Amino acid sequence: MKAAVPGTEVPGHKDWVVSKFGRVLPVLQLRCQKGNKARTMKYDPSKYSHNIRKLDRCADDQSTPVSQLTWELDGGDDDISRKRRGEFPSYKPRRAKKSRPHGLNICEALDRKRFEQNNSSEDHMESKQFSVGPTRTKAQRSPDSDVDSDEDICRLMAAQDSSHNALHQEAEESQLEVVGLEYSLKSGRKDCEDEYDSADTDELFASRRNVSTLINNANEKAKRSGPLDKEEKVKAPLPLQTFSFKEDFDLGGKRNKSRVLPVLQSSSVSHSDDEEEEESEGSCSDSEYEAMFSNGTCLEMSFADLQKLAEDASQSSETACDRGSEENPELSPGPEEWPALRKGISPEEILAAILEESTSDEDGQNERKKPEGVSLPAFQGTKSLQEMDNCLTKAKNGRGMEVKKQMQKSEAPQMNTRTSGTERQEGEKKALLQVGKRTPHKVPIASESSSSSDEEEEEEEEEEEERTTGRQAIVAEKLSAETFSEEDRGKIFPDEGSVEAVPPPFHRKLNAGKEEELQRKANLRRLSALQQKQKEAEEQKRLIQGALANLDAPPPKAGKRIVFDSDDENDEDEEEKKSWAASSKKKLQDIQSEEEAVCSRAVANQRATKDKFTGPQLFDSSEEEDNAEEEENGFHIRPQFEGQAGQKLMALQHRFGTDERFRMDERFLEEEEEMEANGSLTVEDEALEEEKKNNLSILQNVLGSSKQPSSKTLLKAAKFRDVSTLHYDPSKEEHTAFETKTIKTTESKTARRKKREEAQKLPEVSPEIFYQVSSDLKGVFGQTKEGLSNAEEKSNWDQVKEEEDRGKAEELQSSLLSEDPITTKEGSSGFKFSFFGVDAEASGRDTTEYKVESIQAPKVSWQLNQRVHDSSSDEEQERHSTASTETEETPIKSMDLFFFYPGDTRLKEGPTLFCRSSQLEEQREEWEERRTTLRREVRKKHKDAQRKLKAAPKS
Amino acid sequence: MRPLTEEETKAMFEKLSKYIGENIKLLVDRPDGTYCFRLHHDRVYYMSEKILKLATNFSRDKLISVGTCFGKFTKTKKFRLHITALDFLAPYAKFKVWVKPGAEQSFLYGNHVLKSGLGRITENTMQYQGVVVYSMADVPLGFGVAAKTTQECRRVDPLTIVVFHQADVGEFIRNEDTLT
Repeated sequence: MKAAVPGTEVPGHKDWVVSKFGRVLPVLQLRCQKGNKARTMKYDPSKYSHNIRKLDRCADDQSTPVSQLTWELDGGDDDISRKRRGEFPSYKPRRAKKSRPHGLNICEALDRKRFEQNNSSEDHMESKQFSVGPTRTKAQRSPDSDVDSDEDICRLMAAQDSSHNALHQEAEESQLEVVGLEYSLKSGRKDCEDEYDSADTDELFASRRNVSTLINNANEKAKRSGPLDKEEKVKAPLPLQTFSFKEDFDLGGKRNKSRVLPVLQSSSVSHSDDEEEEESEGSCSDSEYEAMFSNGTCLEMSFADLQKLAEDASQSSETACDRGSEENPELSPGPEEWPALRKGISPEEILAAILEESTSDEDGQNERKKPEGVSLPAFQGTKSLQEMDNCLTKAKNGRGMEVKKQMQKSEAPQMNTRTSGTERQEGEKKALLQVGKRTPHKVPIASESSSSSDEEEEEEEEEEEERTTGRQAIVAEKLSAETFSEEDRGKIFPDEGSVEAVPPPFHRKLNAGKEEELQRKANLRRLSALQQKQKEAEEQKRLIQGALANLDAPPPKAGKRIVFDSDDENDEDEEEKKSWAASSKKKLQDIQSEEEAVCSRAVANQRATKDKFTGPQLFDSSEEEDNAEEEENGFHIRPQFEGQAGQKLMALQHRFGTDERFRMDERFLEEEEEMEANGSLTVEDEALEEEKKNNLSILQNVLGSSKQPSSKTLLKAAKFRDVSTLHYDPSKEEHTAFETKTIKTTESKTARRKKREEAQKLPEVSPEIFYQVSSDLKGVFGQTKEGLSNAEEKSNWDQVKEEEDRGKAEELQSSLLSEDPITTKEGSSGFKFSFFGVDAEASGRDTTEYKVESIQAPKVSWQLNQRVHDSSSDEEQERHSTASTETEETPIKSMDLFFFYPGDTRLKEGPTLFCRSSQLEEQREEWEERRTTLRREVRKKHKDAQRKLKAAPKS
Repeated sequence: MRPLTEEETKAMFEKLSKYIGENIKLLVDRPDGTYCFRLHHDRVYYMSEKILKLATNFSRDKLISVGTCFGKFTKTKKFRLHITALDFLAPYAKFKVWVKPGAEQSFLYGNHVLKSGLGRITENTMQYQGVVVYSMADVPLGFGVAAKTTQECRRVDPLTIVVFHQADVGEFIRNEDTLT
């Protein structure tokens, strides 16, 4: 088409024109909305060639040759690459500018590469945002910020497309979007932070958020460098690391107790309402954390790298770096390859960027920052590094601390003893929390004799506590920074024998040989103790007991220490602490943490002071032995501190310190109050429970009324079935519904039984009725004659019975003669029995009763009749009684022979109906005759009816 | 401060159920502790048992607010939700409306949401259904009442109101003195 003049239509294709440079482009029908009117605009690309020219000029001074305008963009068959090639699937109304042909795109593509090189500093930030979520609108708007290659572009674009945000933008431009009920919000708060700068309210939150984003970021980075670095190795020690991670981050809000097991979190809730809230907020993002921590090693990796890179850059002559590489040899390849990957980014820059990010939430963490910053140089273990880092620490917040912790913990799996140490401590903490009633001081587990090792451990713990609690004296920091660092080194890398190599200063002052020996012994003892402790930790049941047994460092020790250095600042700190504790809720934990803090501070102060005056005297063996003894004595469960009141007591005791004079024992327990309090508590709880139930019931009512209609319709919709397709399948359980149930029969049985019982009861007949026997014979005779005539008609069917009953009847007669009411009663019943049998008794009874009441004469006459016509027959007797109950005769018949009796007329008549009475031909003739007559009649009637019908409308 | 009477509870639940439906149960029956509603100065506060107990230490006239204010009872004993309840409505909301960035401000100044500002809406929203209003970045901005069903929203012209304004986070500033 090159020869064609721009503007000529492509033959055979409507709406396709040849544009500048021989390109075939579609004529666009654009629908543009202005106000309420929607118009369609036609956009003919051939007429807008000047725009391309304009763009060309502004984009690049060097004019692009025409041949270069056709770009071969590699890429698969996916949407984006197709779009980039200019093949748009279906037109979506956009502004004309956006859909302008490729000139712009190409220029962008050209620019992009240049731009990439410049934005190295932004790179970090952008990548962070990208990592947080592809749904970010910002990232969408600046797609060229974090793209290293075409692949990256692809990935980015794909992510954008897949995100609903992209959808949303389209929707924004076209129409509103309708989402389902299950539409899940992306965590709004995050965006809130990034897009709306609400640093005030969400500070604490933000800090954590940033941590997570950082992690994510690091993960992202690590993932990118992953294939190169082969980091799979690193993942070997993963489980423990992830564990420690979680721990750290979960407790982000309260780092002063960072070593508490995650299991205990619920019990060790939080100190103040704020923190509680924080935690509750934090808990919502737990899942996120977990998801992120699933490959937590990557984070560690990256940070370690960063740190190391920073160290390298600072040209530190110290061995820390070497050691680090020794410690994690797997991690070492990282730094070399990374910078190569991320071109033009110096490690310091990255670190600085990270730290800068974290400064945004400085305010919220100011308090924590100080102490944490303090311990930072200690970890570095070098003076020069410390100097370098000191400036960094100003900008650093708790995360730096965390990073270090993580690094420490990363070493854990490699060093068994170390892990056991941490585990042990965790175990102790746990035990402490569970026991809860004790004054929880440091609790190293070593045996009594291993005093030096005790001290060592204590120090170690204190060290960690200092790190974690972050409440040590600031003065001590500078003085003891050196010692700290060295001690730390010794502790963190105990397996390297650096303990021997670099003994702590106070040890140095002692006799070197002795010291070494002691150290070795102590180390051995410590190791054995640690192993033992590990075993204990494994058995959770024994854990508490073991921890208790191993508890030492009693309260008096702490008290002594406090007494030793009663500095002003210390007091102030304590006051601070107390006020802080007052605000907290869980007293026990407060006390624990407080005392720990006090102890750690005391130790720090001691160290500070010991360098000045006392020096090694503090660690004299004699004193340590004393301590050990005291520790032995100091730790046993004090029953007075059990329970709620006990806690109160403990708080009191704590206020007095460890002064012997004010020791709180059982006598101070306020049992009554406790009881009362408990009582009131339970009452309140009950009330609340009741209220809750009440609320729920009301809710049920409220929801029930509103719910019903919808649920009904739903049911209707769901329940429709084509019955015709339904077949009974006995194997299916559902189909039991179609089975007829036999319960009915059983019911009828019971009913029958009832009836029977009722029937068996004799009717109560008032005896008075029977007394009134008239002796008027005339009437009696008249009656009996009637009865006789009646009876004789149907005498045939129960003759057999009659004979049986005759004897009884005679008895009756005699009894009736004597006119004994009881006998008459018996007689009547007996009569009935004989006559109707058990089942029919009820009906028989009715009749007799009726008879007795209404007509006295017949009864008497019946009796008299018997007497008079004694010779005649007993049948008549019976007939007479049944005279009034003629209707019952058929049932009586049925009693004997179900339906028929011998010689039943019906039996005789029946066959005649079936058998032919005449010949078939005759019958047929008859029938034909009859048929003709019938026909005639029908026709006639039909005609009559028609006539009538006709007549009716006329009239 | 006292527990709500049955009528009050009913009135409040009816109002709440317009927004979060049966999710009220999650507010009443919480796994993380006992939470309850309390009436104080005609306002309903939602608080944990702990705070409730702490609050009993203060005399009634001195206590301004405790826990989270959900709303207040009008003189005619109707319940009116306050914006402070948004924190509890937003996560449980059944029907949601997203407003475009351009319309956010308008909504936050107390105006109704017009069709032109409607970015996204939950399907099957009925008329007069309580909805929680979000920004396109999923930040809860307030809540309102759907003036049109979802289907109607598609058709109506851009200047019709689709969500009646009930409360928005702008009230935190506008009604700073009355919100508790």
